[in-house]
This record gives sequence, structure tokens and C-alpha cells, in this order.
Amino acid sequence: MHISFLIHNAYGIGGTIRTTFNLARTLAERHDVEIVSVLRHRDTPVFDLGRRVALRHLVDIRESSPTYEGADPEHTRPAKVFPAAEGRYGQYSELTDRRIAQHLRRIEADVVVGTRPGLNVHIAKQTRRGPVRTGQEHLTLDTHSRPLKLALRSAYPRLDAVTTVTEADARAYRRTLRLPGVRIEAVPNSVPDPGLQPADGSGKWVVAAGRLAPVKRYDVLIRSFAKVVAERPDWRLRIYGGGSEKAALRALIDELGLYNHVFLMGPANPLDPEWAKGSIAAVSSSLESFGMTIVEAMRCGLPVVATDCPHGPGEIVDDGTDGRLVPVGDQDALAGALLTLINDDDARKRMGRAALAASARFDPAMIAGRYEALFSELITRRRGSGLRGTLHRTRGALLSGAYATKDAARAAVRGVRTA
Amino acid sequence: MTASTQLPETASAATRQEVKEPQAIDQEPKAPPTARPDRPKAARRDGKAAPAELRADCIADSAGGLTFDLTAPQGDGTAWNAALVLRLRGGDGVDDEVRLPLGPNGSGRLRAVLPSTVALAEGRWNAYADFGDGRDPRRLLPGVNDLRSLVDRRPLAGIGRLGVRIPYATKFGNLALRSWLRGPHAEAGDILVAPDGLTVSGRLYGAAPAAGARAEARARRTPAGNGASGASDVSGASGAPDASGVSGATKATGLSGADAPPVVTVPLTVEGLDFTFTLPYDALAARWEHGNEPWDLWVRPAEGARPVRIARLLDDVPDKKQVFSYPALPVRAAAGHLRVGPYYTLDNDLAIRVAGPDDAPSESSEQDTRAATGS
Repeated sequence: MHISFLIHNAYGIGGTIRTTFNLARTLAERHDVEIVSVLRHRDTPVFDLGRRVALRHLVDIRESSPTYEGADPEHTRPAKVFPAAEGRYGQYSELTDRRIAQHLRRIEADVVVGTRPGLNVHIAKQTRRGPVRTGQEHLTLDTHSRPLKLALRSAYPRLDAVTTVTEADARAYRRTLRLPGVRIEAVPNSVPDPGLQPADGSGKWVVAAGRLAPVKRYDVLIRSFAKVVAERPDWRLRIYGGGSEKAALRALIDELGLYNHVFLMGPANPLDPEWAKGSIAAVSSSLESFGMTIVEAMRCGLPVVATDCPHGPGEIVDDGTDGRLVPVGDQDALAGALLTLINDDDARKRMGRAALAASARFDPAMIAGRYEALFSELITRRRGSGLRGTLHRTRGALLSGAYATKDAARAAVRGVRTA
Repeated sequence: MTASTQLPETASAATRQEVKEPQAIDQEPKAPPTARPDRPKAARRDGKAAPAELRADCIADSAGGLTFDLTAPQGDGTAWNAALVLRLRGGDGVDDEVRLPLGPNGSGRLRAVLPSTVALAEGRWNAYADFGDGRDPRRLLPGVNDLRSLVDRRPLAGIGRLGVRIPYATKFGNLALRSWLRGPHAEAGDILVAPDGLTVSGRLYGAAPAAGARAEARARRTPAGNGASGASDVSGASGAPDASGVSGATKATGLSGADAPPVVTVPLTVEGLDFTFTLPYDALAARWEHGNEPWDLWVRPAEGARPVRIARLLDDVPDKKQVFSYPALPVRAAAGHLRVGPYYTLDNDLAIRVAGPDDAPSESSEQDTRAATGS
């Protein structure tokens, strides 16, 4: 089949870009795959796309480029199709509206896949008759603003499917948005085999990795590690990543006198060899849309001690088998779980091996296989039952219009703009 | 503590210059590095597009050896003279280029090995691949650096000269190695910072502590008239101060000129090859004159022995400064309220900074500004 991804900017660095490239590269082993990037600000993409995936852009914003369009007056006027409540709204314009519309009207693919809410809205509203319309949610419904949720509810009935990265978020979509006839399916992000010898569990290091942002709650991790050090001063903690909390965390480490035991390592790319230096991975977040680092650590053979926060960790870690789940913000529980693994070499190594085995379900081949099955079903549903497909489409359009009217009325009362 | 008040030690101008912290040697050109500066455009002389990027995966062994694996570009066979080339940045001597044979690794890639027995001068070495095809060597990019065996490295203590090489990605994303070559070597371990001073634990390599063993803090003060003389390539080990000139376990002072840098010494507590010492902050603070004043830390393993620079080398972190960070504490001195704290230099040597009341506690010295270019 012919699969076309629509992405905000394939030339940047970020979780959605990386996971889309992984998926596209794997699907391209058996299908025709293209990635269409709305914006292009750099000559070459940062992540490896392989040789078989076609990549093109719709609007060139490379200032050095002869086809630079960033100063086009059309690009300075605000977008009308891309929803105003979307986080990236400021980067969209009448020009992106027009180019995306043109692209979707002419699209040759069997399946078109949007990779963020605003683009899913475009796909729902503007794709020509024929291709299967799929919208991916890489974050979560709960974290979207109310105006954005209203915009999604009015457009998404015209999609064939919405994919989320967790079952929890899929439930939220089914419960909150109620999109009859739209298939809602959780397909986790994929993480490739790191191609490294797995960690052997003998090093006395706990490793964490992520942006140094408040949501990661590294303050809780550092405080809990003070308790670990009190009992096991031979163990140490490395935190990889950069971010706004660095100075505060540095001060906390100094205040607790942990400067011989807790280290802020700065950003690392690739991360896999850094995981392999550890024997336990720690995740202290209060929110994880998915939990990519958990899977990465497991693929390197580390058991993971993670908070049981929404949405991902509980669907990745099997508590007691390949890691431990602890309540959010509970430094005693976190320290206790870390110490359990630190003090029991056999259990730690056993759980590390279990993590390695369990995380194979996130291999790009497995995840691409799930997408493949989903896409095939949707194509069959569309072709095999023309009547049903037409019905769904008609009902979707009607429902979409009805929601839009209702939401617009409600929004007018509240004074917010929905799209 | 037993540190006595000492007078400046006799020191020759040469010694003073040597003790100065080496400049950042990371002067990599901004342009995509082609091979030789005298043939800057050679890489594209055939008019073809820039070649595909070449990444080398690197695995370290616990003895200090490194194995490089890379995928040969298509069409390039394995010529008999293919080599991985290491070039010392800023160097131009015969010893500043090392060629490691590049041969098949048995799984379709090319492999080169840098054994621990090959000595590399201290500094930063850029890595290139020469496929023996008559074209200029091509700069390598870092792939996966598997350095897990370096993390808690503990070499044999009897080793004569310690070689440490840590592969890393430069600021421009290329593959380079940091190299140290020291014998003897004093490896810094845990450091405890307290209001009255600093306690350092460490281990000696290539030297056995004996009677008279002590630690020395030497002010890295540049006397007037002998200013920035550009000693840019001086390793800590070779910059060791003269062994003569000092006597007495806790008092080590002579007096030659008013501008000779002061030295503060304290006795070493020794257990086998492991040592600890506590250096009182007030002894350093009492000598503060202005600005940010760095002191370098040395161990003198025995009476009359050559001093050994204290450094942290035995792990996988190429630049310690940002990662191994310690609090600077307020110290009251005659000159006012100072801040004193330990830090690692750009060469990963251990030093102490005494900062004045108006100076930022840690990020204002010249050395710190240069740290930005150090990777």
C-alpha cells in the first residue's frame, strides 16, 4: 500500500519526528511510504530516514534557500483551517492552509496519516475522497485545552481512525469525544534494538534521562536518592538531559550534600550507551504521554523503577516482573523500590533480563505490523463495503457539522474561537 | 588542621609558567574539516557531491584500549594501507599523527584498534579515515561510543605510566579523543566540602606514598610581567614543579621574590595507595588578593619526590568540569567575605577557586569562559 505521513517539520528534533521516522522506515520495507513536511527550515533531516522513504516539504522557510517563502505575505496572515487552539498555530498561515489543502486534494496515497491534532483536522476536512484518513495523537487528549478539544470533536468524525500511544488515552478519546464509526486504537511508539550488548546489572549506577523540566520531578528522585545513599553509599545516580530546572537541581544536590553521588550529565545523543552503563533506570515523572525512555532503558536490559503516573508507565512496566511502579511524588516509595533492586542482585539481574525480553514488543517491526494490520482493515472496510463507507462518511460529515454548530454556539457564549 | 602559614616558595619563572593551566586546545576550524590545511578543497576536487557521512562506533576496554568499527563507503575496498588516522590538535610533529591499520572485522565492517600500549600525547586528537585510495583522509563522525568499561575504571596500581583516552563528539559534531598520559598519577575520588576546608580522597598510581607524603596547593598566580605567555600545550604532569626547593612535612616555604606564587601544604593520610587530606580554606583565603584566584592541587608522595598532579581521569566523562561540580562556600577572611570551592580544570585537574566578595562564585574566570569551547 501507499502510505503518506503529514508532519509539522521533519527537519527538527523531537519525539514525534523520531518515532515517525522509525515507523516510516520500517513500513517502507514493504510499502511505498512518503513523509510530507509542512515546513522545512534545514537542508537535511537530523534523524535517519533510510533510503526508501520519500521526503518533501510544502513550505520552505530556509532563509538561505532560493525558494524561501517565509516572507511571503500569504505566510504572514493567520491560518483559518489549522485550529487556533493548537500549540503550533503561530507557525501556520494562509499559505500553509492553501498548500496543505492542495496536497490533500491531490494525494495519491491509500492511507494518509496526520501526526498532530492541527494536521489531523486538515486531513479530516480536506483529504479527497478515497484515501483512508488516520490521525495520530502523540500527546494525550487530557493535556489539550478545551477549545482544542472542541475543534477536534468537530473535525474528527470525518476521520477513519485515531491512534493514541496508550490504552488510557484511547479510553479518554472514546469516553470524551464520542466519535461513532471512527476506529480508536492504541499503538505504542516503537523503539529500535539499540544494537548494543545489554547491561549486565553489575554496575552500581542508577540512570535517569529526560528534559530537566518540572514534570519530570527530578527533585523527588534526588531526594529519594539521599535515602538510598544513606543505606548504600556505594551506589550513584546519573541524570542525563538539559533544561530549565538545571540550576535548581544543582542547588538541591549541593544542599543535600549529594555531589559525590548524584550527577547532572547534560544531554546525550545517542542515549543507549548511557543506559548500558547503569543497572537500574529511574523515572520520577508526574506525567508521561507515553514513556519512551522507559522502553529505551528496557531495550538496554535495565529494570525500571517508575512512577505509576498517567499515561504510559503502567502499560509498559509489569510491576514486580521487569520493574517496579510507585506512587507519584512519593520519595519514600521511590527510594524503597530502588533499594529493593539495589539490595537484591539476583532479582535485579532477573528483572533486567525480563525487561529486555518484554520490550521487544516495541520493536519497530512489531509496531509497524500493528499499523499495517490497522491500515489494511480500514482499506478493506472502505472498499469492501462501499455503502457502509459512504454511510460513515455521510454520518461523519453530518455529525461533524452538528458538533461544529453546537460547539460554535457554546464557544460563542464563552467567547472562544474553536477553529 | 596543621597547615602552617607559609611564605611563597622559591620558583623559577619557567616553573611558574608551567604550572599555569593550559589553554583550551579546542581550536577546531568551523568549516567542515577537510584533511590538510594546505589542501582545503581536496575532498571535493572530483566535483562530486560531498561524500556520505562516515560514523565510527567505538568500544572501550577496561585496560584503556579502544576499538573502532566503521562501515566502508560503497566501492571503497579495504586497501592494504587503509588506516584510521589520529591527529593531535595543534600538533605538527612526527609523533602528532598515529595511523592504525583498518581491516575487515569479520562482519562486513572495517575495524581499527588502539591498544593501551600505544602512547598518545596528552591533548585532543581528531579522528580520520584514510581508505588508502589516494584521497585525503576523511573526518569521522561519532557513532555509538560504548564506554561502559571506563565508568568505574580501576587500573593496576603498579602501572608505570597511565594512559587514558576518552572518545567524544566535538562541538561541531566530529569524533575526537581526549588523551592523558601520566606517570605517576594521583586520581581524585570523593571530595567533601565543609565550611572549614576540603577533604579529598584519592589513589596513587605509579608511586608509593612514603615518609613525608603531603598534598600541596599551589597558587596559579601569574606574576606581573610574566603574563599570558601562551603556554598552550603543557600537561599537568610535565608541568610538575621542581622537586628540590621544599623541605618539611607541613611547612614548605622559601622566599625568593615578592611575586613567587604561594604554596600551602598539608600532610597526607595514607592507607596502601589510597590517600586523604584536608586542606583548610582559611590558609588559602588569607592569601587572597583580588578577583578569582585558582590554586592547583598536587600530591608529593614522599620527601624529595616529584610532585604529582591530582586529576580525575578514570571514568568515561571527557569533560569533568560541568558534571563533577561542588559547592563554593563562604569563608571570612581579612580581605572580606570570600567564596572558596573545588572544581575541575579543562584538563580535568583538580583545583580550588578563591573568589572575592564581588566576583561571581564560579563562572567568571577566564578559564570558565573558555570552557565553552572545550568540547
